[in-house]
Amino acid sequence: MEAGTVMPAPALVRFSGIQKTYDGEHLVVKNLDLDIRKGEFITLLGPSGSGKTTTLMMLAGFEVPTHGEIYLSERPIKNVPPHRRDIGMVFQNYALFPHLTIAENIAFPLSVRKSSKAETQERVSAALRMIKMESLAHRRPGQLSGGQQQRVALARALVFNPQLVLMDEPLGALDKRLREQMQLEIKQLHETMGITIVYVTHDQSEALTMSDRIAVFNDGIVQQIDRPDALYEHPVNSFVAHFIGENNVLAGTVETVERDYCRVALAGGGTVAARAINVSGAGASTSLSVRPERVAIVPNGSSGEGPNRLPARVQNTIYLGDHALAVLDVADNAEFMVKLQPGAHHSLKPGESVFITFRPEDCLALDPV
Amino acid sequence: MSDNSSLRTPSQRIAWAATVVVSTLVFIFLMAPILAIMPLSFSSGSYLTYPLPGFSLRWYDDFISSPRWMNSLKNSMIIGIASTLLSMVLGTTAALGLAQWKSRFKPLVLAFVLSPVVVPGVITAVGLYFFFAPIGLTGSYLGLILAHTALATPFVVITVGATLQSFDTNLARAAASLGASPLQAFRRVILPLILPGLASGALFAFATSFDEVVIVLFMAGPEQRTLPREMFSGIRENISPTITAAAVILTTISVILLATLEALRRRNERLKGSGG
Amino acid sequence: MTNALLTGANASTEVPLKRRLRRAERTRQAKALALVLPLLLFLLFTFAGPIAGMLWRSVEDWEVRQVLPQTVAALASWDGKDLPDEKAYAALASDILAARAAGTIAIAAKRLNYALNGFRTILTSTARNLKAVPEPGTAKETLGKINPAWRERATWTTIKDAGGPITGFYLLAALDLTRNADGAIVAAPPDQAIYRDIFLRTFLISLGVTVLCLILGFPVAYLLATLPPGKSNLLMIFVLLPFWTSLLVRTCAWIVLLQSKGVVNDSLLWLGFIDAPLRLIYNRFGVCVAMTHVLLPFMILPLYSSMKAISPAYMRAAASLGAPPLTAFLRIYLPQTLPGIGAGSLLVFILALGYYITPALVGGAADQMISYFIALYTTETANWGLASALGAVLLLATVLLALVYGKLVQGQQVTGGMKN
Ligand SMILES: Nc1ncnc2c1ncn2[C@@H]1O[C@H](COP(=O)(O)OP(=O)(O)OP(=O)(O)O)[C@@H](O)[C@H]1O
Ligand SMILES: [Mg+2]
Repeated sequence: MEAGTVMPAPALVRFSGIQKTYDGEHLVVKNLDLDIRKGEFITLLGPSGSGKTTTLMMLAGFEVPTHGEIYLSERPIKNVPPHRRDIGMVFQNYALFPHLTIAENIAFPLSVRKSSKAETQERVSAALRMIKMESLAHRRPGQLSGGQQQRVALARALVFNPQLVLMDEPLGALDKRLREQMQLEIKQLHETMGITIVYVTHDQSEALTMSDRIAVFNDGIVQQIDRPDALYEHPVNSFVAHFIGENNVLAGTVETVERDYCRVALAGGGTVAARAINVSGAGASTSLSVRPERVAIVPNGSSGEGPNRLPARVQNTIYLGDHALAVLDVADNAEFMVKLQPGAHHSLKPGESVFITFRPEDCLALDPV
Repeated sequence: MSDNSSLRTPSQRIAWAATVVVSTLVFIFLMAPILAIMPLSFSSGSYLTYPLPGFSLRWYDDFISSPRWMNSLKNSMIIGIASTLLSMVLGTTAALGLAQWKSRFKPLVLAFVLSPVVVPGVITAVGLYFFFAPIGLTGSYLGLILAHTALATPFVVITVGATLQSFDTNLARAAASLGASPLQAFRRVILPLILPGLASGALFAFATSFDEVVIVLFMAGPEQRTLPREMFSGIRENISPTITAAAVILTTISVILLATLEALRRRNERLKGSGG
Repeated sequence: MTNALLTGANASTEVPLKRRLRRAERTRQAKALALVLPLLLFLLFTFAGPIAGMLWRSVEDWEVRQVLPQTVAALASWDGKDLPDEKAYAALASDILAARAAGTIAIAAKRLNYALNGFRTILTSTARNLKAVPEPGTAKETLGKINPAWRERATWTTIKDAGGPITGFYLLAALDLTRNADGAIVAAPPDQAIYRDIFLRTFLISLGVTVLCLILGFPVAYLLATLPPGKSNLLMIFVLLPFWTSLLVRTCAWIVLLQSKGVVNDSLLWLGFIDAPLRLIYNRFGVCVAMTHVLLPFMILPLYSSMKAISPAYMRAAASLGAPPLTAFLRIYLPQTLPGIGAGSLLVFILALGYYITPALVGGAADQMISYFIALYTTETANWGLASALGAVLLLATVLLALVYGKLVQGQQVTGGMKN
């Protein structure tokens, strides 16, 4: 994969050749190599069933890898039971102990570690202050709202200063506004406390806003691990291009390859120049990926022969507040999206013939879907 | 919820009124026997009729000073507590096993385990009578305890099974991730949460044994007569007010059991309100 | 990419891994089963075993076989057409003498008397009058002289039929059937043909009680399901308290209420509705009242939970579609309560079928149900074969109904889940 340019800090967690199967027949995690650096916020992103929770559970010690080894601070942890791993965890449904109060829940990890009363009290109050819930300390989890429960779960996982915190879709049950607010709060905690966080989500915008790095999972394989902007700009294959952000796909066949670029004959007619990212050579089929905001619409009859200029037909336009989208019929793709300035959509009429252009460097030739 | 809001037409209102009236009568029917017998136990006269000639505790005194009644109360307690303990051990382990066991025979095994509840008491009693007599288990405490355990265990399996099913295994994992050893996790998280279920199972088991009379009729010797058995002969011979005192004592015990059960259910309900 | 490498690695490890996982799973399942096993063994000893023993008794025939072994052996080859030959008579004479010495005549006499009235006298008089083993060849004559019944074919077929080791005699008797001298199954003589009536009575009382429970329980369940939770929880106490009260207490209370100088009669007299006390107990009325009282909660609780699961949205939808309240109730609400009605009714019916204590205490002689006779034949007359046979019939009926109930409840859970 993408080799790091600078030698990074030693990995806090290292998955090495991890495979996992539950039934002995199909691998839920196929071959996982993943380094997590100290202080990093790394997100496991992927569609449902892609093996994210399984990966997290193996790290936390609730599932045993079928193959491979996980290292924590360079030490294998196969034989370390969950309660000795010193890994905080926020569960998807929070898993707050219903018979304990909020304060008792937060004190739990301290009291099982036999901290002194005074210290426990002090740290619990600090944690309650951090989540701004001092006044609710003596309520039980059942008497809290979803967002409050979420905060308690967070405080409980952080209060014993674990070296690593795992979060499995911690915001999945919250509404959109609360989710966004909590994203900010978690991000702030991460920055101020300097902890390492492994975060699981299948919400790509959540992953993009919060993470230092994202590991995109599909079908038990990490497709790509990279910074959010790199994932967006330089996806290594069609899955990642499709999964992160909006994306237009055009099918075609590679005609020639010349260093980093190639010429592609589109299935729907016409040829374009594209960056050759994941093509095997001339004659191979490929799918081209173009982001909606990297495409310009030029009115019919206007001059100029750009390198990638394709005829299109306007299907309709969609107004989305801060921007607008034009849906075009381009080559074999009848739902080709182009991002417009808010006012621009008035000038396009359904049925109208136009041209689109995009730069070769914005068009990626990837593996065929 | 929709009782008042949806009663718009007169015919609907009449139907609702009829429901209320019939239900009230049924509630009276259900409660009347219990309410009628209570005051009689405090009567100073020896006839079971109203109006009461006066108030006295003589029948309770009679109950307490009668070795026969007191012995039967003691027997009920011995047999009830012993079969509760035994059925808790057997039923809880079985419920734990059944929760993990996957097999197409499981419904069959479950039906077998629960069948003592459905099979008529007389059939169980007759079978046990034939079976236990040759091995000297009739006329013994042990025989009665074993028989009552068989009747009570299905209730334990049901209640404990339901508790285990509703237990969120993530809580145990959360405890471990927070640093609790398996023993700590069991003592501080799992046990407090399943305890109400276990207690309900125990109460059901005790109530089953405490109320059982058919098997006792067949198998108990004069030494092992339980309170219901003593009442059975009392009713057969002639109903003296002492029986009403015994009835009130039995009912009080039932009410305590029911109230405990209800308290446990409430507590459970309250705890369940979380996590969502 | 790395994919090729990966599949290679899989192919080499897949087989042993699969086996390893399966073995681990098997161990887990074995451990789970090991936890259930103690209870299964316990129930085998304290429940299934005894019931199997009872079922065996309903077909076992040991008395004659044990007391008159030579006779039974000699009759094995008898075709039953004419009187048996001299050998059988000699065997009988020798058996009778041996049994008299051992004091076991009464055992066989009791069993044979079930099959043929008067057999007890035949056997005991023969035992009394047979002085010694008859001279060879004279046994037939000697026995015939002592009791002319030995010259009748029916006497001998009775012995042969009762020769065991298994018999359909008790099961047939439980259904008012018997075998005639030719071995054909025929109706039992009228004085013994009482069990069909008893089964019918048991069935009718159970049915009546079930219907009463349904009529009384439906409005209560409806009320409880419709009222707001606060009120319905409170009213639920009126259902649960009797439910938890001892059966004996409730039966006793009904006697106090219904007896001729009881509370009900006193009140009616005082109010002037009647001039003389009504007979309210120790008859069918008392049995039905007490049993309905005991079983009503078993109807209300399943009905309540099935009604509770019906979302009010259905009735609102029906109303919005133009259905008047009664139509909506009959066509939308009632059909959804049917599984609850079925479950509650079956439960009450099953429990009622086996009732013993209540009818025994508040019923008259003509109101006793089948359980009473099973108990009677077990403890009083010690006709264990017949008691077991009646028990077998009752058990069969219960098990069949319980299977239907199981199916019904299972289906209900499935639909209940889909409704949410
Ligand atoms: N305990 C288990 N036993 C058997 N199969 C399992 C088990 N847990 C998960 N799986 C299977 O493993 C695969 C991956 O599951 P996993 O929970 O890791 O997915 P995920 O990426 O977390 O999905 P989601 O986003 O829906 O939470 C799924 O196909 C799932 O059915
Ligand atoms: Mg998951």
